[in-house]
Amino acid sequence: MTAFLQYLVNGLTVGSFLALIALGYTMIYGIIRLINFAHGDVFMVGSFVGYAVVSTVVAQHWPIALIIIVAMLAGMAATGVLGIVIEGVAYQPLLNKPRLAILISALGVSLALEEGARIQFGAGFSSYPGILPTTGFSIGGAHASYAQLGVFVLSLLMMLALYLFVQRTPTGTAMRALAMDRDAARLMGINVERTIMLTFLLGSVLAGAAGVMQGLYYIQINFIMGFAIGLRAFTAAVLGGIGNLPGAMVAGFLIGLIQSFSDGYISSNWSDAVIFGVLIAVLIFKPTGIFGERVVERV
Amino acid sequence: MNHSPSKITAIAVLAGAALVASACSSSGSGGGGGGGDAIVIGVPVPTSGDYASAGTDILHGAQLAAKKINSSGGINGKKIQIVAQDDACSAQTAAQAAEKLISQNIVAAAGGYCSTASAPELETFHRQGIPYVMAASTNPELTDQGFPEAFRTIGRDDEQGPFVAKFITGYLKAKRVAVGNDNSTYSKGLADSTVAALQKDGAQVVFNSALTPGQSDYSSYLTKVGQSHPDVFYYTGYFSEMGLLLKQAKQQGLNFTMMGGDANNDPTLIKTAGSAADGVLIDTAPLAQFLSSAKDYVQAYQSAYHTAPGPYSSYEYDAVGVLAEAIKNAGSTEGSKIDAALHAIKTYHGITGDFHFDSKGDRQPVAYIIITVKNGQFVADKQLNPNTGQWESVG
Repeated sequence: MTAFLQYLVNGLTVGSFLALIALGYTMIYGIIRLINFAHGDVFMVGSFVGYAVVSTVVAQHWPIALIIIVAMLAGMAATGVLGIVIEGVAYQPLLNKPRLAILISALGVSLALEEGARIQFGAGFSSYPGILPTTGFSIGGAHASYAQLGVFVLSLLMMLALYLFVQRTPTGTAMRALAMDRDAARLMGINVERTIMLTFLLGSVLAGAAGVMQGLYYIQINFIMGFAIGLRAFTAAVLGGIGNLPGAMVAGFLIGLIQSFSDGYISSNWSDAVIFGVLIAVLIFKPTGIFGERVVERV
Repeated sequence: MNHSPSKITAIAVLAGAALVASACSSSGSGGGGGGGDAIVIGVPVPTSGDYASAGTDILHGAQLAAKKINSSGGINGKKIQIVAQDDACSAQTAAQAAEKLISQNIVAAAGGYCSTASAPELETFHRQGIPYVMAASTNPELTDQGFPEAFRTIGRDDEQGPFVAKFITGYLKAKRVAVGNDNSTYSKGLADSTVAALQKDGAQVVFNSALTPGQSDYSSYLTKVGQSHPDVFYYTGYFSEMGLLLKQAKQQGLNFTMMGGDANNDPTLIKTAGSAADGVLIDTAPLAQFLSSAKDYVQAYQSAYHTAPGPYSSYEYDAVGVLAEAIKNAGSTEGSKIDAALHAIKTYHGITGDFHFDSKGDRQPVAYIIITVKNGQFVADKQLNPNTGQWESVG
């Protein structure tokens, strides 16, 4: 029972990161039907921006909370701008071309970001200064650190903010309208280009936040880190029904839990096999994802 | 050393380019070899590609050894001359590097870094009857082939497992041991040989399973390790995962002893794990910095090259040194006579410790030590005294 609780805690931590990243995949797919292969690398760039900030300000002896806030804001701002630039340069001109062109373009952006980071920061690991406390508390015999709690709460807050934004604001309504039918939305007077840009901004900002949190929590980052986690987050997006916002959130946590329980009850050796086995099963038996019935409200 | 196949493939591509470049430049450096007045020793090491810095360290070790020997009169009145050749850590380039060294009339070779490159070098030297003392290549195959020309001053991969088992059962007195690996050939091999040795030494292996490298979160893997209630957890993979394992084990309040294999001797581990790295035990071939017998060498190296001597240059220093002694004893530069003289040396007092070669050409006794982390620094901890069989502090 204690082990079960521990697996649960571990899985929710991993899931927090996956859910944040999965949202970006699902939003962008919902609005322009593109699997944004560069999304995992946007997460990586966010992590490196946070690394640059934290390693610079750590000498200033600021309170930890302030360092975290500054690093996250910097990472989110940088990836937000990056998202808009990627969309404007690599995707916007190809929106009305055959699907394949934009997909290849996404792969190109992914490689450009990875290799750019490799040239800038080297192929080895970069290490965040370890500023988070390692202390924690016990629930029913399972250990959770305050850092884990922080990761979980912060990601939930960001997801809630995103959900409210999409559901309650006029811009969010425009995004949902665009996801349903781009041409009809344009006829209703929605600025399609601006809305697509905004979607990239939001998705990338969440990935950037996840990237900084990843660095703060796990310390070591490298140029290729976005690939593996991006693949798992994408699996979560598919599992939740790609294009479905709440689906991606729930499925992100679900993949985290699957990984954790499979590491615990099967073997860590098998975690990739289990996770991608789930992906294959979903694609075969329920291609619209586990929450696929809400497919009309894609964003 | 042990390097992943994908990396080696990448290097093979680079090696092609390096070969073209070295073909043009090498004649200059080696042109002086082969004169009747010098004993030429060939040093095949990677001096281009990802492992160039390790190869250059080894070459520096050879040059320092030659300088030392020459300044005290050389071998039977003749000076030693070092001729280097880039093997780029690639099998293809290595075979040609060995041929090129042979064409420069070397009497023996000392060097090698990647086992993948040392294997074809050894085979090429074997065909010409030229002795090859390897300084950093740890793959057991190299000396297991039975070539009379094969020697090495570094330990074998399969000697590490029994050494670790001896430490865990003999010094830590652990009864229940968990062993983890990352499924790479090297890591799995070390885990298998350690498990076998542990069972032979009477310990109970309560957990033996691989993790998926590159995953960032090993909390659940560790929870599972904890469920088996080990006294010691020994991880045979690389430093990047070990750093995360240490940190996450501390976070979960797991309090078994953590121990890592010789791929964990990297500062990234300390950065990742932070204070959780304190007290971790790592077995490794001793760095020159940790050995009192190598103090002068470290100083000479620092003043000559303005950097630390690297992990393997001291083994190269001893490789050239033991070759010089064998050539002196043999009174000849004939390959088979040098081989016999190398085997005949009872105890060579090297800077990496006293040793001799067994019938296969492997170093005896094995030089491994246990290091640990104190205040964010790697420090030497324990070594096995081969005479008394006791574990003692490294001083």
